[in-house]
Amino acid sequence: MKMMGSQAVMESLVQAGVKIVFGYPGGAIMPIYDALYDYQDKIKHVLVRHEQGAAHAAEGYARACGKPGVCFATSGPGATNLVTGIADAMLDSVPIVCITGQVTSALIGSDAFQEADVIGVTTPITKWNYQIIKAAEIPEVLAKAFHIATTGRPGPVVIDITKDAQFGRLDFFYPKKVTIASYNPNLFPHPKQIELAAELLNNAKRPYVLFGHGVLIAKAEKELRTLIEKGGLPAAATLHGISALPADHPLYVGFLGMHGNYGPNVLSNKADVVLAVGMRFDDRVTGRLKDYLPRAKIIHIDIDPAELNKNVKTYIPIVADAKIALQELTQKIKKNHHRPWLAEFRKCDQLEMTKVIKNESYPRAGQIKMAEVITMLSEKTKGRAIIVVDVGQHQMVAARYYKPVLADSFITSGGMGTMGFALPAGMGAKFAAPEREVIVVCGDGGFQMNIQELATIAQEQIPLKIIILNNSYLGMVRQWQELFFNKRYSSTRLQNPDFIQIAKGFYIKGEKVQDRSDLSLALSRLIKAKTPYLLEIMVEKEGNVFPMVPSGASVEEIRLE
Amino acid sequence: MKHLSTITVFSQNTPGVLYRIADLFLRRKINIESLTVSEIELPGQSRFTITVRADGDLVEKVVKQLYRIIEVSKVVDSLDHELIFKELSFIKVHTKDAAARHELERLAQMSGAKITYVTGRFLVIEKAGTEEEINNIYQLLKPYGIKEFVRSGRIAVFKE
Repeated sequence: MKMMGSQAVMESLVQAGVKIVFGYPGGAIMPIYDALYDYQDKIKHVLVRHEQGAAHAAEGYARACGKPGVCFATSGPGATNLVTGIADAMLDSVPIVCITGQVTSALIGSDAFQEADVIGVTTPITKWNYQIIKAAEIPEVLAKAFHIATTGRPGPVVIDITKDAQFGRLDFFYPKKVTIASYNPNLFPHPKQIELAAELLNNAKRPYVLFGHGVLIAKAEKELRTLIEKGGLPAAATLHGISALPADHPLYVGFLGMHGNYGPNVLSNKADVVLAVGMRFDDRVTGRLKDYLPRAKIIHIDIDPAELNKNVKTYIPIVADAKIALQELTQKIKKNHHRPWLAEFRKCDQLEMTKVIKNESYPRAGQIKMAEVITMLSEKTKGRAIIVVDVGQHQMVAARYYKPVLADSFITSGGMGTMGFALPAGMGAKFAAPEREVIVVCGDGGFQMNIQELATIAQEQIPLKIIILNNSYLGMVRQWQELFFNKRYSSTRLQNPDFIQIAKGFYIKGEKVQDRSDLSLALSRLIKAKTPYLLEIMVEKEGNVFPMVPSGASVEEIRLE
Repeated sequence: MKHLSTITVFSQNTPGVLYRIADLFLRRKINIESLTVSEIELPGQSRFTITVRADGDLVEKVVKQLYRIIEVSKVVDSLDHELIFKELSFIKVHTKDAAARHELERLAQMSGAKITYVTGRFLVIEKAGTEEEINNIYQLLKPYGIKEFVRSGRIAVFKE
């Protein structure tokens, strides 16, 4: 079929199963937007208010439903505005495909109007990128883009299309199957490695499972559950692993890392065998590396060979898809239990409960605490909402106190720690899962970093719920200043605008809560709302998140206060 | 311990691969000592020969990360004894008189080098060999006054 390059872009997206695009038009991508006009019944376009919002929305969409998120941006500033979102997707292994317009090929390199070297800029932060200068390349390159973004370890792909390629004509043919000789992610574990791993687990006294985002990406939640139940293995989640196992599962021991739960951190160093699945031993998880897991033999399952032996020495590396590896490992391990070992975790939980949680989740006096809001939210939603969280104190509090029972329900920017992520990502998540309750939790700082997306939310009338936990500080930085910089609060105090008036200006309903007595009903109103709804909750100004593994300390040196 | 590694990368011959490879070394602060790229016996395929002086552990990590590049099909990290390797160099040397020219011709012959170009004022000596052999001839020629010196990166084939 003969068609124009711009139409071929739309046709390729249809072939790839794309239902929604987040984007912002401009000069160099106008032919594609023109073609989009004829595809409105097949592909919905969400007009964001800043391209960064488009990238995060595409991420939120992909994280909530597992399908690739797509965004459009024009050349130059349009494309460079995507950069933070692309880098975020790279670090968190999120499949997004960004299509950017580029100046006409004859002008490339001439410092033309709105010309930026998008390929140069995005090379270090993409899984793959490519510049199309001929219309004929469009279907094949886009098929490749979706294949690469979604297979193996997922990641962002940027396709930069010159204006003349968009205007050019081609014979459209979209390949059903993409093969790339040099790219064949290994899905199946080596049987010998699985046997060795099973033997190690069968003989372990204090086995410990650490699971991450890879379990959710591989849709291996059931397999993880079956494995730990058969082996009686205590399991802890990384920040992105949260929701891969229901929070109320008897073998779930909590969340790992700098502000994670006490037991999962402190007992790491007692484990004799560690099975790490789909996680990458990030420095926020390991603490001081040389004192991490001193007694453990490590089995590490990851689809990316470069993650094995990167940060910790692995005893049994297994390059495989988590789902397949867990299935095969489950077959080989013996039915077992480790009750005394599990009891050690529960003992730690009790300590954490008395020292931290009780007062944080159920305070009786003083200002509202972040943890009490999240605890209440968790109870009111029965852990069944998708929580999309920004970056900072409230993020750690949400990770600690929200108890999700369904998969893909805790979405945040982990690797990059991008403030401003949550509002647009929440929007993307709501489009991916319209039947589910999606609640954005932000701080007062991060909320203002992509506040413009309130306009998109209002225009689309998606019932996204937004909570601002307002402490009038950049709370996490302030906490560090308090603990490690002698309380010198350098540039962390925020004089905020009236968020409710702002919401009103965007035609979004909102209310502000200052008193504990109003909190419960306000949260109920938020949940019940059928329209977008903003709840600003004034919380304790100088609250700190504990436990905490101080930067550069060992996980054993975790502080409860 | 830092040592010299030769990293051979096989990839599809598409623009951008060199950029991605260089970036990986840059991020790990590994200075590339030499780099040679050419098409090989398989159509559409290139071969990169990269020498670096770095810690073995670090090289191993970079090698694995090189595999993340979609176009890269194979990466081999080798030590010198596993390879046949050479570089090519041109050395342009002053010749103030016939005696000097004569002497240089003799030196070149002794060192297994070739005289590729001659004028009344200078001659160009072409030497192919290991880095060490090229360094040696360079030292020998230095007293005569070197006008220009250039060497290619290493190329290598595997002994096995």
